[in-house]
Amino acid sequence: MSALNEDTTHSSVSLITPEPLIKRFPFPFHEDSYRYSNNSRQLESGLCLEVTPEYEEEVEEKRALLKENHMKCYQSFSHTIEAQWEVLDMIIHELAEVYPDYFSIEKQGDQWTFSNHLLKEQYSFTFGAENTLPAEPLDFIGRHVQEDLVIVSQRDQDLYMDAGQVCFPANWSLVFDVGMTFTEWHSPVPVFSDKLAAKVRDFLMRMEAGKPWTRYNWTLTVEHVLPTFAEDFDLWAPKKDKVTKENIGELVHLRVEDQRLFRLPKSNSILFSIHSHLISLKELAENQVWLEHFRNIIDDLPEYIAEYKGFSEYKPLLSEWLTDTLQKQVEQGGNV
Amino acid sequence: MQTKSLQVLVNRIEDETTNVKSFTLKSLKGERLPGFSPGSHITTNIHYKGEKLERHYSIACDPSVSNQYVLGIRKSETSRGGSEGWHQMIKEGDLLEISYPKNHFPLSFRARKHLFFAAGIGITPFIEMMFYLKKKGIDFDLHYAAKSKELCPFYQLITENFPDQSHFYFSSSNRKMFPQLMKDQPIGTHVYFCGPESMVKQFAAYAQSAGYPQGNIHFELFSPPDMGPASPFNVKLLKSKKEIHVCEKDTLLDVLLREGIDAPYSCKVGGCGSCLLEVADGIVDHRDQFLTEKEKENLQVILPCVSRAKSANLMLDL
Ligand code: HEM
Ligand code: FES
Repeated sequence: MSALNEDTTHSSVSLITPEPLIKRFPFPFHEDSYRYSNNSRQLESGLCLEVTPEYEEEVEEKRALLKENHMKCYQSFSHTIEAQWEVLDMIIHELAEVYPDYFSIEKQGDQWTFSNHLLKEQYSFTFGAENTLPAEPLDFIGRHVQEDLVIVSQRDQDLYMDAGQVCFPANWSLVFDVGMTFTEWHSPVPVFSDKLAAKVRDFLMRMEAGKPWTRYNWTLTVEHVLPTFAEDFDLWAPKKDKVTKENIGELVHLRVEDQRLFRLPKSNSILFSIHSHLISLKELAENQVWLEHFRNIIDDLPEYIAEYKGFSEYKPLLSEWLTDTLQKQVEQGGNV
Repeated sequence: MQTKSLQVLVNRIEDETTNVKSFTLKSLKGERLPGFSPGSHITTNIHYKGEKLERHYSIACDPSVSNQYVLGIRKSETSRGGSEGWHQMIKEGDLLEISYPKNHFPLSFRARKHLFFAAGIGITPFIEMMFYLKKKGIDFDLHYAAKSKELCPFYQLITENFPDQSHFYFSSSNRKMFPQLMKDQPIGTHVYFCGPESMVKQFAAYAQSAGYPQGNIHFELFSPPDMGPASPFNVKLLKSKKEIHVCEKDTLLDVLLREGIDAPYSCKVGGCGSCLLEVADGIVDHRDQFLTEKEKENLQVILPCVSRAKSANLMLDL
């Protein structure tokens, strides 16, 4: 268990291409209408993680949150330890394979040395021996990626949220949900909970290793705030009151969750990863195709979805701003 | 990162009995194989006599030993080619492409005790389960029927590793395995059956009558159950605007795949639910073990790998 400040030969952060957000944002809509559905698609890349230019900033924020209130961001049942090692194994190998300049792994049997060259950290541990890591395996490896990670166990014909490291939840609570079944933790979602959740659960229970799935979820967040815990509702929700016609473009952010689902063959559990991306409406508007899709989505959105996502208060304002901004772009000849 | 399939090397082939061979599959040099959970199987594809044969085999070895899978394959007299291909053609040193381990026969998490009933080659999934449970110190018993000690696959491995839990029933010595063994078990016992359809049916029916809750009864079938004669039917595909004919010998899934339709599937014996499709119109002749009786009544769905049509026509939203 060591975190050496090693001088590695790799130069690091500069290698992440600082492409503007608008060029790489995972815009989730291809249609002009949005309803709850099983919008899962096969994940062709087979990859769980993405390292973006925000890596250092976000990993630092995660670690600070974990330090400040550990149980709010980390929950686990002891029977998930094997699945946790499986997740650690999968993530370390993916990082080292896909980003060899940023991460590496050296193995002598069960003696592993994992290096994070971006953060200039190195850890040696015995695979499978919990006391050789500074934290539980899921808690440890989650501190090296931007994604939130949830382990969902499949037992006796149901799915349970059995462990998670979640620092950037979109208005939900890990502490509240841990130990619940799939339909239980989805019960606040209107329409989805009674029409779709059981079907989606059955679909997930049939998921196979080697055939991972992915889906986008989205919502709106006022200001660039990643940690919107249900527990801290009083801190971030009142910000909605500040939204005006003048500042909405800067204040309101489209929040997209890139979610990926993997069957873990050794534990027969499911790994659910969430990479949350935020972009201000103003920046989003730089892509006129996206702006138009988003305007149409908002204008077509049923009230129950806006209400659940928490922006029905400023939805008229939003709709007006989107239409005006689009109108202006069209008049100016647009930037299509 | 997960790739679509796995490359393995046939490392060793051994005769378990006169008609069962075990195949030890290992990773290629320097590569790793994914682990597997107890109850898992892999899907294999071999080309034999000009046919592509897809078969599923349970992994008959200790899940805590990494980078190897052992398959126990019986050369079946009624072989549709798969097991014959494995016995005749596969040699040590061959490279094979296989699926990731999949588990349609998982151990119960909440069981207090696991009671296994195997007949013949049906033993294979219980081997992985027993290694796992023994390591965890969880209570189990195995009842295992075979023709004789000599014709009992994995007899030595089982007596060596699980001497206190295994009970054998050889027809050569007139010992019969009765379902009544399920009587007088502690509350929280889960029962598992693997073997020919007739045996699984008999034991499952007994378990139910003995008061085991449905969720405590687990079984795995190797071939689709015999549901009586299959009649031909027609299917209209609404999205692809096609009409297809399914003859007696084919399954609906076969025909869909042949038509180039990207239909999902996995077990092909009506046990996993992967191939489930919505039915727009028509009456389904349900032949699967996956949907509950209630679901068969209430849902407009079909598992095309085994189920057929009661009406002359079906309409699918494909
Ligand atoms: C197994 C992994 C999954 C986990 C751990 C998970 C977790 C969650 C959680 C915690 C919420 C918030 C509920 C609340 O308000 O408290 C949520 C919302 C939701 N989930 Fe899932 N989910 C999973 C998979 C899926 C899948 C596969 C679907 C596919 C359709 C889905 C659809 C939804 C929808 C539609 C919402 C509402 C989101 C919104 O409108 O903002 N979930 N999920
Ligand atoms: S493929 Fe498994 S039920 Fe049809």
